[in-house]
Amino acid sequence: MSARERILAAAVSQIAAEGIDGVRIARIATEARVSPALVHYHFATRDALLAEALDYSYVHAGEARITSGDTLPRTSHAARLQSMIEACLPTSEPLRQDWVLWVELWLRAVRNPELRPVAEELYARLHAWFAREIAEGVKDGEFARCDPDEVADLALALIDGYGVRTLIGDPAMPLERGRRAVSGAVARELGLDGEQLVDRAA
Amino acid sequence: MSPRPKVEHLRKPQIIAAAADVLYERGLFDTRIGDIAERAGTSSPTILYYFESKDRLLEEAVDLTDREFYERMTEGQAQRRGAVEKLVHLIEETSLGPGGLSDWTLWMEMWVRARRDPAVRDSYFRLDRRQRELIANIVREGQASGDFDSGADPDDFALVLSGLMDGLGVQVTLGQPDVTAERMVDRCLALASLELGCELEPSDSALRRGARR
Repeated sequence: MSARERILAAAVSQIAAEGIDGVRIARIATEARVSPALVHYHFATRDALLAEALDYSYVHAGEARITSGDTLPRTSHAARLQSMIEACLPTSEPLRQDWVLWVELWLRAVRNPELRPVAEELYARLHAWFAREIAEGVKDGEFARCDPDEVADLALALIDGYGVRTLIGDPAMPLERGRRAVSGAVARELGLDGEQLVDRAA
Repeated sequence: MSPRPKVEHLRKPQIIAAAADVLYERGLFDTRIGDIAERAGTSSPTILYYFESKDRLLEEAVDLTDREFYERMTEGQAQRRGAVEKLVHLIEETSLGPGGLSDWTLWMEMWVRARRDPAVRDSYFRLDRRQRELIANIVREGQASGDFDSGADPDDFALVLSGLMDGLGVQVTLGQPDVTAERMVDRCLALASLELGCELEPSDSALRRGARR
């Protein structure tokens, strides 16, 4: 791993643990086994560090997500879509870290407009990924005729709204039921019957 | 300056209102207690007498914003007849309403803090549950009156709709291209129509409000 990569990996875990506001450059340097000066050299501002760490985390947490082509189920578009939704929810530790950064980005981008393109870019990537899969499902006749962009927007918004709740984890909210509810809402937009995209028992 | 508990009933709301403004403008991290004191026309020690930390102030500020939002919401709901009108009103008020929760900034602050502060987490849970309860109750009313399909589970629907509003609300707040508050209303109405087997249309007042934007 290059020094830059070690710094980014350390930044991801530090931001996930302490929040971007609580991050100390010195601690990142220690964890990455580099000098604080080098961290400053690579990342002049907190915003730059957050933006780069997010990009790094997005790629690494979503390794399966990015190289998705081969790892997604081949059985049906619905099954692939279901896996994609799972891959976007904070269901594993790397994904949880990725989510924390994502939420930190939202907040920071509200007041620092120069960070908004970072959010825009991440949304655009996910959007394209979902819209493509939905369009193929429509083409293959598996999904009802719909506007893939609209349904992709809906799916991503639902994932964000539900992901936040999963991340914070209200004990009174049954997460599994919520996951099914989100999956079901997307399924019905695509003209599929049933409680969710794919019946898990099947 | 010494704290003056005797005027608590006057001073506390004043500090919370000032905190809500300053926190909204600058964010929790960049807000100094002194900034809030200045806005409220009081001193930092007085503020610290009433509130032990910035996190407590954030909680109270969100609570205040939320209370104002719900007062407006409840008032509006009371003027609506039937579940269809109530649901349309809830979606429009949440998406288009002036200030308050139509802007997700303070929610985002809560989400970020909730992971590290149990008290912030608890207030978030409370507010989120109440919002979902409100939605679920409208659905139950509509199912009882036959306006909505009886197949939908009210609690599941509430979770999906509140999740959708949060997800879209973030994008509206961030000024994502193509995501406007009006589009958010349309998207939520479309989802609700599909899930509840009915036709929900934007209200006239929302159209007028939308046209002004």
